[in-house]
Formats: sequence, structure tokens, C-alpha cells
Amino acid sequence: MISSYTVGIYPRSEELIEATRKNSKNLSSLYLKEKKEYIAVQKRAKLDYVCDPLLDWDDIYRPFSKLKSVKLSALNRIYETNTFYRRLSFDGPLDDAGNIVKSSLAVSLLPKNRTACIADPYTFADVHLSTKYKKREEFTLAIAKMLRKEIDALVKSGFELIQLVAPSIAYNEKVDFGIVKNSLEIITRGLKAKTILHFYFGDVSKKIEKLLDMPVSGLGFDTTLTPISSIKKHSFSGKSLAVGIVNSYNTKLEDKQECVTELNNIISKTKPDEVFVTTNFDLQYLPKDFAVRKILRLGEIARGVRSA
Amino acid sequence: MHKYFPTQEIGSLKKPSWLLSVVKNPDISKEDKSRARNDAALLNIKMLEDLGLDVIYDGEVRRVEMYEEPVRYIKGFEFAGRVRSWDNKYYNKARITGEISYKQNFHGEEFKFIKENTKHDIKVPVTGAYTLADWSYDEHYKSKEELVLALAKNVLRPLIKDLVKLGAKIIQIDEPAATSHPSEMDIFRQSVNESVKGINAKVVVHACFSGNDYESLAPQMPEIKAQQYTLEFANRDSWDLGVNDKERKGYHVLKLFKEYGYKGEIGIGVTDVHVDRIETPKLVRDRILYSAKALGDPAKVYVNPDCGLRTRSRTVAFEKIKAMVEGAELARQTMNN
Repeated sequence: MISSYTVGIYPRSEELIEATRKNSKNLSSLYLKEKKEYIAVQKRAKLDYVCDPLLDWDDIYRPFSKLKSVKLSALNRIYETNTFYRRLSFDGPLDDAGNIVKSSLAVSLLPKNRTACIADPYTFADVHLSTKYKKREEFTLAIAKMLRKEIDALVKSGFELIQLVAPSIAYNEKVDFGIVKNSLEIITRGLKAKTILHFYFGDVSKKIEKLLDMPVSGLGFDTTLTPISSIKKHSFSGKSLAVGIVNSYNTKLEDKQECVTELNNIISKTKPDEVFVTTNFDLQYLPKDFAVRKILRLGEIARGVRSA
Repeated sequence: MHKYFPTQEIGSLKKPSWLLSVVKNPDISKEDKSRARNDAALLNIKMLEDLGLDVIYDGEVRRVEMYEEPVRYIKGFEFAGRVRSWDNKYYNKARITGEISYKQNFHGEEFKFIKENTKHDIKVPVTGAYTLADWSYDEHYKSKEELVLALAKNVLRPLIKDLVKLGAKIIQIDEPAATSHPSEMDIFRQSVNESVKGINAKVVVHACFSGNDYESLAPQMPEIKAQQYTLEFANRDSWDLGVNDKERKGYHVLKLFKEYGYKGEIGIGVTDVHVDRIETPKLVRDRILYSAKALGDPAKVYVNPDCGLRTRSRTVAFEKIKAMVEGAELARQTMNN
């Protein structure tokens, strides 16, 4: 089975950028209008899972600043990009979690085949701070419990596919896979939704064997940094494979036929239970016009693979 | 330079609001806009002189922004649209769709005006090849290295040569992206060295702090053909007075530069450009004295803000520069006692 979806935050249009900068009165209606447009683009591209474009999220973690014990901290670079996020400081219990993500999504606009993106606990704890949870493991597991409540609420609202974006697992040279596994078990145990652990901002070639052992439905890769040749060396039997073949970090549009050929090759070598064709990471690194072209091309590639 | 701890700016200041309202007004003629830009440049030059800086520029008051300004004048670039820096802050990002080439000296008129209007030393900031490449979408070149070297040889080098022909004696290559990809430091080194090949001027490299405390930059420093690095330190330092390791934690990396054999000058960032809190002259003094000791030679220490002050209001920026100049004087007095 071959499906398609996009990862993460979408770019704002020029009109919306201006409105957010000026905090215009009609900002909420503009967000809504543009969210509808992007959802329509995803449908036009015939993506199998549709997401909220997260236009009103300043970064993938920001909604969690609504928690009582969380404070906004300094700006920090997103890995090696020229984009920054606001660090959060988790300074108390996280009992009030459970509806943060869901209430920050336009759930009513989404079709039944919906997906949502959330950072994996290891990444989340890696890029934020805590004065309460002093040890990394303790902090990661507390974050995992918080995220589980969030994900349960999403699943109850019909989200069938949960993307767990894991750039820190890709970027960090040394990763404590014990902590990663324990935290993912909290997230996925008994969960009635598919989970894809998606890696970008680093090459995970040497980590794939360990990652295949993680308690998630499947693994996702940024193929600009993790070479396809290294993915093809592994069997994905019993797992799903998400191939981030559409590059959100370059305006150059992918050649449809080249991608289809490459994907067919990967599938025949890795034999996954299910295949997802996707972007390598958030489309917000492109201006809107280019992002739209990439979404449409993603749909064409997925259909090309299905018909091959 | 005969005195210890010369003071300098990094480059950008917030533009005066009256200038923005003039240049954005479609009903105002080109000539009047040009006059307004000259007035603003003159205002910044005189302000920086009055504050007592030894090395000045014009606050980059004519430039749109450090990336967009040069890209407008380089053949091979096409603007794609705005992308997020953070929150609601965006920058206009360009695609590289063909061979890169130099069209004209895009900082020439700006430099000539400053030269005519000051007797102080002038440091000309130019955006470096590595940063221009890193902040763009490359649709043309086969590799990042190829693109960076094309920019260094075909744009930066002729630009710097033209500025030197006009009388520029100090060129600052601004490379905020320099240390953002530790694995690409070899490309960065080549980029600077190719940019300044055959140039007869003092070369300064400004690189922002990025995650690993300049640890990836340190081994490259002796091999890069720059006489000075202007770097960020204050934003990781404590606000406590003192000249010991405990208080001056933001400056420990200076010892690493020395360990790697770097023998040139360092323009130490003594003011944090991300906060409005004004450093006291005594704090600036202690940061300078610690740095002089860490480098083992006070003659190698220049004094500047961490980065351009354009993110602060003009009032805050000028207060910070004033404290910086006073702090440098206190450090000189301590050295002389």
C-alpha cells in the first residue's frame, strides 16, 4: 500500500506574513481562509492523509507554552538552519496537558483521513529546558507522558496517522536509544493509530538498525541527508517506510519520473508493510508558491508509484 | 592605532523611523529619498564619532538588509519570496538559477560618502560568500562548495578589490552562517581565502555564535587569511564584575583560539545585542581585561558589540556603545596603572 502526506508547518502567504507582522484585526479570518486553501491543495494533490498547515504556530513546540508551568525562554537556532524557535522551560508538573495540540488545530476543516505532527519525546526534551526534571531521562519520560495525553486526544478526534518528528535523533551524534525506546513505548503502547518516527537534519545511516527496533509503526527519512543507498540496505518487513523524497529546503522541483523510479527501487529492496511518500520536513522553509508546487508534485509522485 | 583596545561597531543600526517613512513613500522623488539617505548616513556617522568609536561605518543605513542588499546586485540570483527567521520575522530568500557574476560595486557610493564625511578609520562590512550561499536555494551549482567558491571568486573578490581601489583599508566579511554547519568549515576557510586573494587591505571576519562556542572555527583561524575576527561573547557571559574564569564564562573560548595557534586580533563582543539591559562600563572593562589576559597580548584586543545593533532601539544601541567606549577607557586606565 502506498500513501502520501506532508510533514510539519506550512509557509504563510505574503498577505498573511504582513497581517501577522501588523497583528491585523482580520488575522483570525485570514488564518482560517489560508488553512482552507492549503487543505484544498492537499486534496487537489490527492494526498492520502491531510493535515492542518499549522499557519498559526510560530514553531512546532510553541502551543505547549500554554501549559501553566511552561515559560518561554531564549531564541535558539533550529539545528543548522537559518530559522529559530523559542526554547521552553518546563518548570512544574504537566498535569494540564491533553488538549494543547488538538485545540491548536482546525480539526473541523480536516477530512476523515487526517494526520498530525508532533515532536518525539527525545527531540522535545533535547531542545528545551526544565528546572523541575533535572535528569535527561526523567525529563524525556515526563514529556512522553504529556505527549501521550495529547496524542490520545488526537486519536479520539479521528487522527489516523501520527507523525513523530525526530530531528534530534538524526542530528545528535550520540543518542541514548534506551531513553528513546522507553519514551516511545509510553507514546505507542495500545495506541490505535499509526505512528511514523521521522528523521531529518542529519544522516541516520548508521542508526537505522537500532531505529528498526523502536516501538513505532514505521520510520521516515529525509533522503537529502540519509542516502537512499543506506536505506535500501535494510529490510522493512513488519514496518512501514516513509520516504521524504520531496525537498522542502530547495525551490528546485523534483523530477516526477526520477522519484517514481527511485521509490520503486527502494520498495523492491526494503519490502516494507506500507509505504508513505512525503516531504523531507516542514514546507515552511519555502515561500508559499513553491510549497504549493511541491505538494502537487508529491501527489503526482505518489500516484506514479501506485500506477507503476 | 597606538592605543590599547580600539573601539568599533559591527555594522548595522536600526534605521531612523523618519527615514523609513520617506523611502517607503511612493510620492517622494528619488532625489529626495537619496537626500534623506545621505542625511541618515551623516547622522549615524556623527553619532558614532561623538560617542567616541575609533573605527566607524554608517550603520548600514542605506542597505535593505545584509542578505537582500547584495543579492539584488548579483547576477544569477532571483528572489523566491519571504521565509521565516523566527515567529513573525521573515527574510527575502533567493534562488540561484544561473552562473553567478558581479555586476557592479554595490557598496561603492555608500563608502565614498562615508570617506568624504569622516576622518575616523572606516571598516566596510560586506556579506560573505558562505553566508550568501547558505541562505539561498541553489538550483544551479552541483555542490555547495562549487557555489561558495563561485561567489568568493566572482563576486566577493572583485567587490573588495573595487572598494580597496576607492580607498577602503579595512574590510569586514560578515559571515553569520559561518559556524552553523561545523562539517563545512573547510568550505568556509576556502571561501574567505579566495575572497581576499590579492587584496591589499586589513581583513576582518565577523562570525556569529552558533551552538558550539566557535569550537569548529578555532582550528581554522590560523589558516584563514584574516587579521582580525569580530565575535560574539557577551550574550553567553555573566553580568557579574570580575576578571576570573568564574565571572567571564562567555570568554573562555579565547584560550582555545590561542591553543590552536591563532596569533591575530580579536574584536571581542562586550555588549549583548539581544537585550535592552545596558552593560556598565565596569563590566565592559572586566570583559576586556579578561580577554587581554586570555590572549596574552592586550594589543590584540579590539572592542565591539557582539553583532550589529539593529535589533535594538537607537536609544538603547547608543547607550550600549557609550558604555562600551567608557569601559574601554577604564580598561586602558587599569593597564596603565
